[in-house]
Amino acid sequence: MNRLQEKYPTEIENTLAKYPPDQKRAAVMPLLYLAQREYGYISKQALQEISEILDVPVTEIGQLVGFYTLYHDQPGGKYRIQVCTDLPCALRGAEEFLEQLCENLGIRVGETTPDGLITIEAVMCLAGCDRAPLFQVQTAEGLTYHENQSVESAMKLIRTWQSIP
Amino acid sequence: MTNKMITLTIDGIQVTVPEGTNIVDAAKKAGIDIPVFCYHPKMKPVGMCRMCLVEVGRPVVDRNTGEFVRNEDGSLKIQFNPKLETGCTTLVSEGMVVINTSDKVKRGRKDILEFLLTSHPLDCPICDKGGECPLQNLTMAHGPGTSRFLFDEKKHLLKHYPLGELIYLDQERCIQCGRCIRFQEELVDDPVIGFSQRGRSLQIVTFSEPGFDSIFSGNTTDICPVGALTTADFRFGARPWELNAAASICQQCAVGCNLTLNVRREAAAGGKVVIKRVMPRQNEWVNEIWICDKGRFGYHYTEAPERLTQPLIRKEGELVPVSWEEALGFVAERFRQAGKGLLTLASGRLSNEDLFNLRKLSEGLGGKIALYTQMSGGEQVMQVGLAKESNLAELGQGDAILVIASDLHQEAPIWWLRVKQAAERGATLIVAHPRPTRLEKFAKHVLRYRYGDEAGLLLAMLNSLSAKRPALPERVSTLWRDDQVQAAAKAFAEAQNAVIFFGNEGVGLQASQALAQACLNLLLATNHAGRPNNGLIPVWQRPNDQGAWELGWRPLPNLDEAISQANAIYVVACDPAGDNPTLPLTPDFLVVQDLFLTATAKLAHVVLPALPFTEREGSLVNGERRVQRYYPAVPPRPSARADFTITGQLGKLLGIDLEDRLASKVMLRIAAEVPAFSGITYTALAYAPEQWPIIGREDLYYGGTTYENKQGIGVQLPNALQQGEQVTLTWPSLAQATEINGGLLAVPVTKLYDSGSTLVHSKLLDQRRVAAVLWIHPDEAAAHAVQEGDLVHLQFGEASAMATAILDKTVPQGVILLPRSAGIPLLEPCAAQLKVVERSYER
Ligand code: SF4
Ligand code: SF4
Ligand code: FES
Ligand code: FES
Repeated sequence: MNRLQEKYPTEIENTLAKYPPDQKRAAVMPLLYLAQREYGYISKQALQEISEILDVPVTEIGQLVGFYTLYHDQPGGKYRIQVCTDLPCALRGAEEFLEQLCENLGIRVGETTPDGLITIEAVMCLAGCDRAPLFQVQTAEGLTYHENQSVESAMKLIRTWQSIP
Repeated sequence: MTNKMITLTIDGIQVTVPEGTNIVDAAKKAGIDIPVFCYHPKMKPVGMCRMCLVEVGRPVVDRNTGEFVRNEDGSLKIQFNPKLETGCTTLVSEGMVVINTSDKVKRGRKDILEFLLTSHPLDCPICDKGGECPLQNLTMAHGPGTSRFLFDEKKHLLKHYPLGELIYLDQERCIQCGRCIRFQEELVDDPVIGFSQRGRSLQIVTFSEPGFDSIFSGNTTDICPVGALTTADFRFGARPWELNAAASICQQCAVGCNLTLNVRREAAAGGKVVIKRVMPRQNEWVNEIWICDKGRFGYHYTEAPERLTQPLIRKEGELVPVSWEEALGFVAERFRQAGKGLLTLASGRLSNEDLFNLRKLSEGLGGKIALYTQMSGGEQVMQVGLAKESNLAELGQGDAILVIASDLHQEAPIWWLRVKQAAERGATLIVAHPRPTRLEKFAKHVLRYRYGDEAGLLLAMLNSLSAKRPALPERVSTLWRDDQVQAAAKAFAEAQNAVIFFGNEGVGLQASQALAQACLNLLLATNHAGRPNNGLIPVWQRPNDQGAWELGWRPLPNLDEAISQANAIYVVACDPAGDNPTLPLTPDFLVVQDLFLTATAKLAHVVLPALPFTEREGSLVNGERRVQRYYPAVPPRPSARADFTITGQLGKLLGIDLEDRLASKVMLRIAAEVPAFSGITYTALAYAPEQWPIIGREDLYYGGTTYENKQGIGVQLPNALQQGEQVTLTWPSLAQATEINGGLLAVPVTKLYDSGSTLVHSKLLDQRRVAAVLWIHPDEAAAHAVQEGDLVHLQFGEASAMATAILDKTVPQGVILLPRSAGIPLLEPCAAQLKVVERSYER
């Protein structure tokens, strides 16, 4: 049973059409995003399905998931808050910001809130060093950036998500 | 490859090497070791680890004249690169000066080591590689005594991470050289392990099912330069310096890979000497520095507790232990009485010495001998077999290899690897098989035929090449006009050198004779016989089938009849009753000589316990007709004896002059009697020339822990053409297609991991062992109302079996495939009737 293939035949076909037929493997990144949207993370099952669609060994696809930080091999929250804690951001208080945000949510870095809504992660430079503390939010729909943040502003944002049924 | 030679100086020593050589190899040839981690002489350099840094200077060239500039004293003016260069990715050039010992180089190495050790645990005292680890050695030589990194901040990762049940990874020890990954990808085309994450978090992962799904996986533990990869078989088993080494030959297939058996006397085994691990031994003509996992892990049968320990005689219906004296005396007396009525049935699991003595014993009594095999064609191999002085590694551009009726990946893994590599070097690979196999990916020509048409296909190839076109049976009569057949035939005929591998998938005993003859015709007609790097290679099922043929053993076309006519049968190293329960094996006197109490042994009047290859010496002839000897590794179990010894002792009692003590002396007799063996002695077989790449010495970082070959590379036999004999084309009569009467054609196929008596005791392989299954095409399954997972009753003739159905689109229509040695008594293709008896609804 190839769930991706069965659920998204046109989407997959359109993706494949963008690349030469003998270089199907080039479609691996968009398919990984598709899988992440479908499963919430890249499960072993998803790896297998993409491997079948592209005829690329499953381990090669698994390697990519590990290489890129925006693919996740473990289930997480609907919203992944990724706070930069690299040196420049740290100098502008990113570490304290992260700590307090965690306290407010009652979870530790890398964990997910019990309602499955939010996961918090610490990441490397997000190229907004002068506007720290900052974070990006990754959802199935994509990425949004939130700069010059305080714990209050972040919590305000989070409350808007919590009110979405 | 060009033949241009380049001369350079390394640490003051002048070296001349072919153009295209890198600095590390050039130095190695001059006896200078440049440490490496990521570079391996059997793989392309990648320059990842920076361990091989050296100072490189090049002669200054005058731009106007293009000549080298000279110093006042006439020497070449050399300009050194201010930075160190990696010796593995830098190719030699004329006049180059390399410095491997300066302070600058030493400092460079020290720095690189410090980087490698930032998180490395250096837990050598509990590491399996400790004692044969390049990282340990280099750290001792160059490394800083203490780490500048805080221990608490070192990265801590998994120490016992199973990549599969066979190979374990210690994530902390991995230095990320990528050798293992590149081996799996570049060499054996199983990209089942890879790097995940980045930077200091980089780790080896696998996502295959089962984990690390490759039949070559063990080799990565040899080439891993640290103790990161270990086999489940050996990890924490012993320290390398406690081990003794004995040279041996793998007995699991017809390739005959050279092995080293590492043994140790240990308390855990009650003070006995036991085998701790099986390692490859270099033989660039046979297995290079590799072995497959069957060879590495398959040896456990030799030490199985189930082994026979004493001679047994049937008394009042029961097999009871007796002394050797009694057993031998009894057997000799009964054999004397049987005389001409004695049938000796033996297999290619035996050594040359065993087979020679057995034949002599039988001849001395006037009895018959029969080789127990399902494949024929050894005579053709003696005529046009791979010629003496051949090496598959020399095949490349302009040459051709034809593989027919064999799935080399499963039947002879190292040949699969060598053929694949020849194709990658440019040899034209033609794969002819009724279903797709792993080799096809590398083939220029893929010929698909129906089971039963293999000989016809080769004759059609021949027809397409010549104006004379002897008529062929209906089924294949027009094949010669097929474009693909013509193209393949043309490529084969035009090749400078050509080799044919033939197997017996879908081919019965009789038909394989025709197949071999068709191969011979094709080789002879295209002038591809009798010269080095040309000829025929049989993919036998047993390690010494070819030796048996050379020594006069032949299969009997009608074994059942011979068995029913015999008064006494001497069954050695085979289990006819186990393979075929309907065989009428009820002679007046049955003697079985084996390692285990086989199904045949259970019927016997006398059972004689033999020794496995690890406890004795002997020699084998591989499919390339290379005679190779193996040495005793562990002391023989008391009360069991080598086959040639048992037979020799029977000879003594019967007044037949046989050598029963030294295998080497049996070989002298063979050499005196069998022309192809003339001149072969155990000393000649022990000849061990220098090989390239140089491996297995102190500097284990270069080639890994494969053993250097000091005990002999063996001797290839000359074929009939090389011995000046005439070989002529004869037209084989092609067998009729098997009648299948509304059923399906059941074809036995060889899978690497089966349940044969020489593998079943390796419990480690249980998860990968083939079960009693049947593979069937989905359409065919539908037509027979069979579904995936069904338990199916199979009837072939009088025999029957149960198998679980697996639907597989690669199986040809009209056919079911059944694994050999997996509990289904099917030796040759035959018609089968199917009936579903149980359906699994799990899905
Ligand atoms: S496991 Fe061994 S061979 Fe593989 S990358 Fe790590 S150190 Fe190199
Ligand atoms: S290829 Fe054959 S001879 Fe070589 S190790 Fe494997 S089973 Fe043994
Ligand atoms: S360091 Fe945080 S965004 Fe660049
Ligand atoms: S960089 Fe040369 S051996 Fe690794």
